[in-house]
Amino acid sequence: MGDSQYSFSLTTFSPSGKLVQIEHALTAVGSGQTSLGIKAANGVVIATEKKLPSILVDEASVQKIQVLTPNIGVVYSGMGPDSRVLVRKSRKQAEQYHRLYKESIPVTQLVRETAAVMQEFTQSGSGRPMLGWLQTILDFNGNCGVRPFGVSLLVAGFDDNGPQLYQVDPSGSYFSWKASAMGKNVSNAKTFLEKRYTDDMELDDAVHTAILTLKEGYMHLKLLFF
Amino acid sequence: MQRKVALKITTTLCTKNGCLDAGTIERVQSLAFLIPQAFVANTQRSLHWFLRLRSSSIFQVCVMSKAVVDVPPKGGFSFDLCRRNEMLSKKGVQTPPFRKTGTTIVGLVFQDGVILGADTRATEGPIVCDKNCEKIHYMAPNIYCCGAGTAADTEAVTDMVSSQLQLHRYHTGRESRVVTALTLLKSHLFSYQGYVQAALVLGGVDCTGPHLHTIYPHGSTDTLPFATMGSGSLAAMAVFESKYHEGLTREEGINLVSEAICSGIFNDLGSGSNVDVCVITKGHKEYLRNHQLPNPRTYVSAKGYSFPKPIEVLLTKVTPLKEKVEVIEGGDAMEE
Repeated sequence: MGDSQYSFSLTTFSPSGKLVQIEHALTAVGSGQTSLGIKAANGVVIATEKKLPSILVDEASVQKIQVLTPNIGVVYSGMGPDSRVLVRKSRKQAEQYHRLYKESIPVTQLVRETAAVMQEFTQSGSGRPMLGWLQTILDFNGNCGVRPFGVSLLVAGFDDNGPQLYQVDPSGSYFSWKASAMGKNVSNAKTFLEKRYTDDMELDDAVHTAILTLKEGYMHLKLLFF
Repeated sequence: MQRKVALKITTTLCTKNGCLDAGTIERVQSLAFLIPQAFVANTQRSLHWFLRLRSSSIFQVCVMSKAVVDVPPKGGFSFDLCRRNEMLSKKGVQTPPFRKTGTTIVGLVFQDGVILGADTRATEGPIVCDKNCEKIHYMAPNIYCCGAGTAADTEAVTDMVSSQLQLHRYHTGRESRVVTALTLLKSHLFSYQGYVQAALVLGGVDCTGPHLHTIYPHGSTDTLPFATMGSGSLAAMAVFESKYHEGLTREEGINLVSEAICSGIFNDLGSGSNVDVCVITKGHKEYLRNHQLPNPRTYVSAKGYSFPKPIEVLLTKVTPLKEKVEVIEGGDAMEE
């Protein structure tokens, strides 16, 4: 396939018009633990399975669901370390917004800024000022060692516009969902959610549905709802 | 054409065969200005000078123009205008006065935690510019900070450190400690060498107990059981020195703090108006804004005001203004 020649360079389009590295990043996401989110009438639920590699791992130290602001939380599917970087940056951006405007950041704004960070890493340069002019002449595979993030995020929040749920992909694109799932077994989970979802769901119903969706074959659960 | 460029010639010069040594580079740099035969090719970010030297080899010099390249801004103050300011002050031009909180701020440790107190007057030279300002700033749910000195400095610095503490709380998942706030504040103030004029009284209760600190504009700190800062500090300290003892109850503590602030309000010109108090205990805080108002303002005149009878409306006439813009319906669409 003509694509394979272009699959190693992040900064080169393949003949079919794709950036193959990003496709691979999505594959990495698809092999991560399932996580899902459901938007209810009065809140949002995000849930994921906390699958530990062995029983000896200290369960309390693993935190897959993180708080970004008092009213926005996030869960990921894919590479944990990548998500930590994004969570850190998002928290800082939310805090900077608050300092500047003295209001808590709306969910859409935070999602947009997080998506912008993820997009930066899909174009060579990631904002790092590496020897200014050198960067312009050195552009073979010299993408300063950046790669796309290997995570998709589900951002859940509650602000003036009510409950909101967004999914952010490694490419930097984001979508608003009523209910969504990512990671392994995503097609089954989505089918299940489609059947079960109603627009006027209460928060408790949403929690119950989330648990049922994850329950198909899984043992451990970690829940967070807003 | 010889183009004037503010220069920082990079030291990477390349010939067709390799790089030059330092000696040759210097020669080329000095010659770059002199040789009029250089012609310039404009590329995206730099000017490439193709120079023909005596040795008739062509050098390609990458010249960085300050105007063209984005140089990351350096931190800290820029002292560019200091000379101009000196010159102006020699000629007798005074710097404009900035808003200060000539102030009385106090703090003390009592048996359950910490109590902070402050007056509420902000001055601009001899003028009171704010009769009821807030000098007790929020740092964390369990830490508050009183600020004396330049109002903008105290507010900006406490705001900034409060943001940093919030991020720190997210990352660690723990309650902030008073010493963390202390260290962030003092390192910031020290790095600005006293130019950020903020004198602070920092108090709070964390997992290690109640703490009270003072921070001076140059970055030094003290840890004390009772502290006062600002222009009214001596008046307030006199009260503390005579009446403070360990193991005060909450009521005694609040009364002592109010007394000290009142002493500052009445005996110091830079302090005045009302008393603000903030009580911080383990897991709980109480911000008593305007706890005491010893300087009430009387607006009512003793004789009372009499207003004349309202005038009757005899005639109402509405004259609409002419519209300057005429809207032509069905005109041609705008042509490019």
